[in-house]
Amino acid sequence: MSAAIAKTKPAPGLDDAVVEAAEIVAGHDGAAELLVRLRHGNGVSSALTLDPDTGFDLLRAAGAASLDGLIGQSWRDLTRGLWEL
Amino acid sequence: MFDILIKGGTVVDGTGAPGFAGDVAVKDGRIAAVGRTIAGEARRTLDAAGRIVAPGFIDPHTHFDVQLLWDGAARPALEHGITCVVPGNCSLSLAPLKAADRKCLVGMFQQIEEMPPQAFTEAFEWTWEDFAGYRDAIAAKLQLNVAPLVGHSVIRLWVMGADAQQRAARPDEIAAMQDLLRECLEARAVGLSTSFVDVDERGHPVPSRFAGFDELDALCAVLGEFGRMLQIVPEFYATDITLARVDQLAELSIKHDIPTTFSPLFDSAATPQNVPRTLARVEEQFARGARVWPQMQTRPIDISFSLLRPSLFFGRLPRWVRVLRLPLAERLAALRDPATADKMVEDAGPDGGLAMLGELVLRGGDAAPAELAGRTLAQIAAERDESPARALINLSLENGLDVAFLAASRGHDATARIGPMLASPFVHIGASDGGAHLASFATYGDTGYLFSEFVRKSGALSLEAAVKKITSDTAEIWGLKDRGLLQAGKSADIVVFDAATIGRGEERPLFDMPGDGMRYVRDAIGIEAVVVNGEVAWEGGAYTEARAGVVCELA
Repeated sequence: MSAAIAKTKPAPGLDDAVVEAAEIVAGHDGAAELLVRLRHGNGVSSALTLDPDTGFDLLRAAGAASLDGLIGQSWRDLTRGLWEL
Repeated sequence: MFDILIKGGTVVDGTGAPGFAGDVAVKDGRIAAVGRTIAGEARRTLDAAGRIVAPGFIDPHTHFDVQLLWDGAARPALEHGITCVVPGNCSLSLAPLKAADRKCLVGMFQQIEEMPPQAFTEAFEWTWEDFAGYRDAIAAKLQLNVAPLVGHSVIRLWVMGADAQQRAARPDEIAAMQDLLRECLEARAVGLSTSFVDVDERGHPVPSRFAGFDELDALCAVLGEFGRMLQIVPEFYATDITLARVDQLAELSIKHDIPTTFSPLFDSAATPQNVPRTLARVEEQFARGARVWPQMQTRPIDISFSLLRPSLFFGRLPRWVRVLRLPLAERLAALRDPATADKMVEDAGPDGGLAMLGELVLRGGDAAPAELAGRTLAQIAAERDESPARALINLSLENGLDVAFLAASRGHDATARIGPMLASPFVHIGASDGGAHLASFATYGDTGYLFSEFVRKSGALSLEAAVKKITSDTAEIWGLKDRGLLQAGKSADIVVFDAATIGRGEERPLFDMPGDGMRYVRDAIGIEAVVVNGEVAWEGGAYTEARAGVVCELA
């Protein structure tokens, strides 16, 4: 079971979620994965975990040197950047 | 005369009832009697004094599809007390499969199983295309029992060819898939597996991910004709999507009167609400009459990496991220550059990475010197008179970067939280992934760990409850006829073990895959004997010549 997030264009109307935390977590297949915690425009928090390839792509899309560089970035912009890689 | 008489043990019969001092008699592959004292002669008597006598364990989530073609014991599963495995999970099985599609499927299997290519070209002959043919190909050699799933991805591949990985199916194609699934179920497939997350060796979604809900609904209608299982891999990386899948499974379960199961479901400090929220939804759906079984593994999750591939383990260290993202040749050059290496060591902290990297364990099984396997980076670094970060870089460079390190227990590792989850009546213990991820970690010994960690150490489950969870509960959930209980007339699948010592050994590399391929395994601890369909299959630390395993009859 290896997970991969489909890189899809962000839907119009996606709310203004920002990254409030980025952590390394253990994936079920033994890989280090990236857990991104989002704070949505309505105040709700949610989390999703990205596989290593997508995690590195996200860093690239964000122009971030490390995970700390993701904090505060717009999720809409990050996913758009991911699509354009 | 009995074939086997197991004398003087504590009988834990799989019902959850308290164990009692007694005997178990076996004749013609079946349990002939269970009682306080059984009189009568037997061809073979096993002394079980001081030991537990229980039904054989059932592992409901494995990928032994390929290995079973040359190893009917699914080693080392059997020696851990496993007498029945369910392969074919996550949408992938080896049948039905047209000869022309073999190469395509092998790539998907290699992605999951990490098996060397020789496993598919040298270790067996492809003698089948249909499901019955695969069943017959494994049946002759079986030392344990098998209840194989049929994979949704291969059903799509058969009907749609290359289009299976490109588009939704037309109504005529869905009808053809229904016919094909029906044929597989008639050939004793225990159910259908599908996946919403898996990818092939190119990173492309597996065929099942291109199915629309109408296709899944139609296939579940066929499962409903037989009352068979639907297994799925949900989008487990996001709780909210998993909850939506639980609801979807519930609708399918109720509409077609089928059991469903999803895996994996795991806990971590980073997502502490994942399991509680999911189990709350599962409980609601059970109350509506649905059968939606979340599978939860017992073992903690480790992180494993080498510098051969970029790992997010170093995601907080900018210089490491920059270097590890380089193409291999440039990465090697950067690591060899003293100035770059100095900066990387500096990045790891003023202690040279002792706090962050010191507890890493060198795994072995790769290019690293064997004598270093199992030792911590702090120990190795001290001997080399280097900081841990420097030792990690240099050790990797000295061995072509093919040195694997393990950060143990980095997820699903809080025994105090996980014990009550495993004990929940809504949790199905499984998700071992036996036979998969061979080069990443050992997928064996989860049952031993259940007893050592959650029965003996934390007491979250009684011995009887733990046995029930991995025997009769599993048999009932999956509809395995006559399995999972020590009762007269049931199939004689029995494990004799020491409750005081049962556990799992340390992870170790083993080069026993075709083409001298390596995999990580764990030895069994405390298992005295394993009986499969009335024949002793493993005893005193060794396999016997018995070949009594079968493809399971279904209720």
